[in-house]
Amino acid sequence: MLQYDIIIVGAGGAGLYAALETSKKENLKVAVVSKVFPTRSHTGAAQGGINAALGNVAPDNPEKHSYDTVKGSDFLADQDAVELMCQMAPKIIREMEHMGLPFSRLENGKIAQRPFGGASFPRTCYAADKTGHVMLQTLYEQCVKNGVNFLNEWFALSLVHNGERIAGIVALNLRTGEIVGIRAKAVILATGGHARIYWKRTSNALGNTGDGPAMALRAGVPLKDMEFVQFHPTGLRRTGILVTEGARGEGGYLINKDGERFMKRYAPEKMELAPRDLVSRAIETEILEGRGFKDAEGNKFVYLDLRHLGRKKILERLPQIRELAIDFEGVDPIEEPIPIRPTAHYSMGGIDTDIYGRTRIKGLYAAGECGCVSVHGANRLGGNSLLDIVVFGKLAGEDAVNYVSEVSLLPFEESAVREQEDRIRALFNNDGSEKLADLRNELSDVMTYGAGIFREEKKMKEALEKVREIKERAKKIKVYDTDMTFNTNLQQTLEFLNMVEVAETIVLGALERKESRGAHFRLDYPKRDDENFLKHSIIERGDDGELKISWKPVKITKFQPEERKY
Amino acid sequence: MEKRKVTFRIRRFNPKKDSQPYYQEYEVEVVKGMTILEALQFIKDNIDPTLSFRAFCRSAICGSCSVKINGYPKLACKTQVFGELEVYKTDILTIEPIDNMEVIRDLIVNWDSAIEKMEKMRPYLIPDPEVVPKTLDEECKVYPNELKKFDRFTDCILCTTCYSVCGIVKVDSNYGGPFPLARVYRFAVDPRDALKKERAKIGYTFDMWNCVRCEKCADVCPKHVAPVNGIMKLRGLSIDIGLKNNPGARHVAAFYKSLLESGMLNEVLLPLRTKGIKGVLENLPMGIKMILKGKAHSPIMKPIAEHEGLRKVMKAAMEVE
Ligand SMILES: Cc1cc2nc3c(=O)[nH]c(=O)nc-3n(C[C@H](O)[C@H](O)[C@H](O)COP(=O)(O)OP(=O)(O)OC[C@H]3O[C@@H](n4cnc5c(N)ncnc54)[C@H](O)[C@@H]3O)c2cc1C
Ligand code: SF4
Ligand code: SF4
Ligand code: FES
Repeated sequence: MLQYDIIIVGAGGAGLYAALETSKKENLKVAVVSKVFPTRSHTGAAQGGINAALGNVAPDNPEKHSYDTVKGSDFLADQDAVELMCQMAPKIIREMEHMGLPFSRLENGKIAQRPFGGASFPRTCYAADKTGHVMLQTLYEQCVKNGVNFLNEWFALSLVHNGERIAGIVALNLRTGEIVGIRAKAVILATGGHARIYWKRTSNALGNTGDGPAMALRAGVPLKDMEFVQFHPTGLRRTGILVTEGARGEGGYLINKDGERFMKRYAPEKMELAPRDLVSRAIETEILEGRGFKDAEGNKFVYLDLRHLGRKKILERLPQIRELAIDFEGVDPIEEPIPIRPTAHYSMGGIDTDIYGRTRIKGLYAAGECGCVSVHGANRLGGNSLLDIVVFGKLAGEDAVNYVSEVSLLPFEESAVREQEDRIRALFNNDGSEKLADLRNELSDVMTYGAGIFREEKKMKEALEKVREIKERAKKIKVYDTDMTFNTNLQQTLEFLNMVEVAETIVLGALERKESRGAHFRLDYPKRDDENFLKHSIIERGDDGELKISWKPVKITKFQPEERKY
Repeated sequence: MEKRKVTFRIRRFNPKKDSQPYYQEYEVEVVKGMTILEALQFIKDNIDPTLSFRAFCRSAICGSCSVKINGYPKLACKTQVFGELEVYKTDILTIEPIDNMEVIRDLIVNWDSAIEKMEKMRPYLIPDPEVVPKTLDEECKVYPNELKKFDRFTDCILCTTCYSVCGIVKVDSNYGGPFPLARVYRFAVDPRDALKKERAKIGYTFDMWNCVRCEKCADVCPKHVAPVNGIMKLRGLSIDIGLKNNPGARHVAAFYKSLLESGMLNEVLLPLRTKGIKGVLENLPMGIKMILKGKAHSPIMKPIAEHEGLRKVMKAAMEVE
């Protein structure tokens, strides 16, 4: 058995920032466990940028940033958390800049900022269209500098606790196939998002499968606001791969079949720079009402036109986007518009935490996309997630360092390891009458049908039943690859099982929230209902194994709910 | 919708079970638009769940999925199957793990030693107290033209593709390798860095002068980083700080001479000019090793066709410098 003071599960922006924070303290034994090598984490795929009220381009301040965030969230974000994040933003940007992060620059040498959806100023700091990539590399470099200890290509399987306090985790070493107990006084989950549940149309990496929330749920830790899944307006037609909001920030237009800039009907002032939920619904409406395009494969889409930006600007500010469009759609945006359609993108909901990342179990933290401090509420603004992960990664790291100085290790029952061994052995011995790939596609279809951009009771009820059925059928999936060296068949199966578990909470939350707010849009309840639903949904697994839903008030400090208009 | 039957000939190896690597063929009906990665996943989902490969972002930014396709290393996720069929005029594609690293299983290689080497080379900013403000109330000033010097090198996704094709990595275990050395250069010209040009000493220690400038690393890099350019510039910095009187610095002069004569880098004649006969004798084992492994040209070379043009460009470039 391995033994540490703190284990951080996940090596994206949140996990690495937490690790950096712990590395400031000497004599702490810390390990970062990640199922992929750190710089492969999904944070690297973020393109557009990270928000902070630096005021380098236009006068700005954290209060305005807070207001935009709260409004963007459709007033569901906890305002104390939002204020904290927006206050910390300028400092944390400079901290990363002092670490060597190569932000794009203004002529006067200061960090450049670009406009982004839902923001009232150009507030988004960026590095061309590779912001997440350089952020992840920079944080990783600093971790190397500080001697952070990594367990790469290890898959966390379960949380071990005594009902009150955390004792550690059980993990699978993917290279050797060993199943190992890892004791720790504190565990920080930073496992990223779960939009892969919408398997066939998502911008997410293959491993964004909700492992953290699924482990938490199994351990009796509640999840918050799971019904809120963000659909990003501009995914590539075939693959759902993302075209950054930066493309619209730089001035890209959306065009329908009639050559019309249709956003003028949905958000006459903000046009293409309205928040994502609004733009996504606008595009879907155009397609549903027959004003979209259709290709030979049956894909439906509209165009994102960048041509008027000109070659120079495209090459300078959006070089990766150009390459993605060429490689995956065969379209050079300098010459042709890019075919796009909304794609499942971001998980606003996650493990329920306070502003220090603490969960119901002492010593268990969550940070980054897998957690829900609630700074994004019902809809996240572009550029606020990279900020969220570093701010709350840092705070969780700090709090965990303090916590472990006061407590000792808990006993760790070997049976927890045997339980996981048995679970995996069972997967080898199943009858195999159900196939992983088929069920994964079915789950994707069901979720798109029942818990997609437009929702309604009847469809959601069907979807909930279907998800439960898929969960039953998943008990028959067999892992055919029995060799334990880098068994990716086993890994993909475990990931799928996590997705089904999390999917159920999304549909249940959506069904119970009888209003429309942010990304959650119900045709049968098209209005926001502050009287009944200005509150967070909380879902946990009861002792009987069934999901239970309850509610928790939203923290309101400065900004009273008002109608959200753009 | 256009479809084609394609045979994927995939190199399989599980060191725990197999005494030898072997090739297995899978026939797949591929639709236009499918990437190599999608084809591999299709095989795993529908034909053989034991086929092992790495992938994560599927959008050419995480660096997990580099494999050899008909002998040439590429990112599986950004390579179109139809494109490859076109290039090679075939219906059979051979997929193999990349070179210079041990195979863990099938297409999955062990990149640890490459990464460990990089980690030894201090691949992180060491802040210069003269430039980096003491508090977080202020930004450093970095001007766009300063950023331009190293910006390209921050595109590296650590996919290790360049490392896998480098002939020097193969024969010199101390050689830093293309992407690690390029990263050293990236920091050497970052105005915020405290070591600055002194970083060239790191390159020196990790045998950067052994790079034969074959440019393979530049050819294969999916992010157009061209590590070799970083290495050449790092060498320049090394000369600037006075690491001059050494075979390496002489190598630079000899290199230009060789280029002007033949229009191509004559890898085997180079040591003769830099080190004299004794030097060549010392280097002979490596030279022979390289020729045998197909990593170097034979010593007898013809001038290339556009040699005159090249000579002019080189002259002009030298005048500018
Ligand atoms: C295409 C795209 C573009 C985006 N662009 C932007 C943008 O411009 N601005 C912005 O603010 N946000 C953007 N986002 C959102 C933002 O990138 C993510 O929300 C954020 O990077 C998540 O970071 P994280 O640290 O929480 O998780 P991740 O970076 O996803 O890291 C998760 C880590 O957990 C590990 N892990 C997961 N499960 C396990 C397990 N079972 N065992 C061990 N390890 C595990 C993984 O290996 C990984 O290291 C974008 C998202 C996408 C998909
Ligand atoms: S140019 Fe140098 S670093 Fe690049 S592959 Fe050739 S020898 Fe290796
Ligand atoms: S330099 Fe290019 S080929 Fe080499 S590791 Fe970096 S991205 Fe890959
Ligand atoms: S899967 Fe990430 S680079 Fe190919």
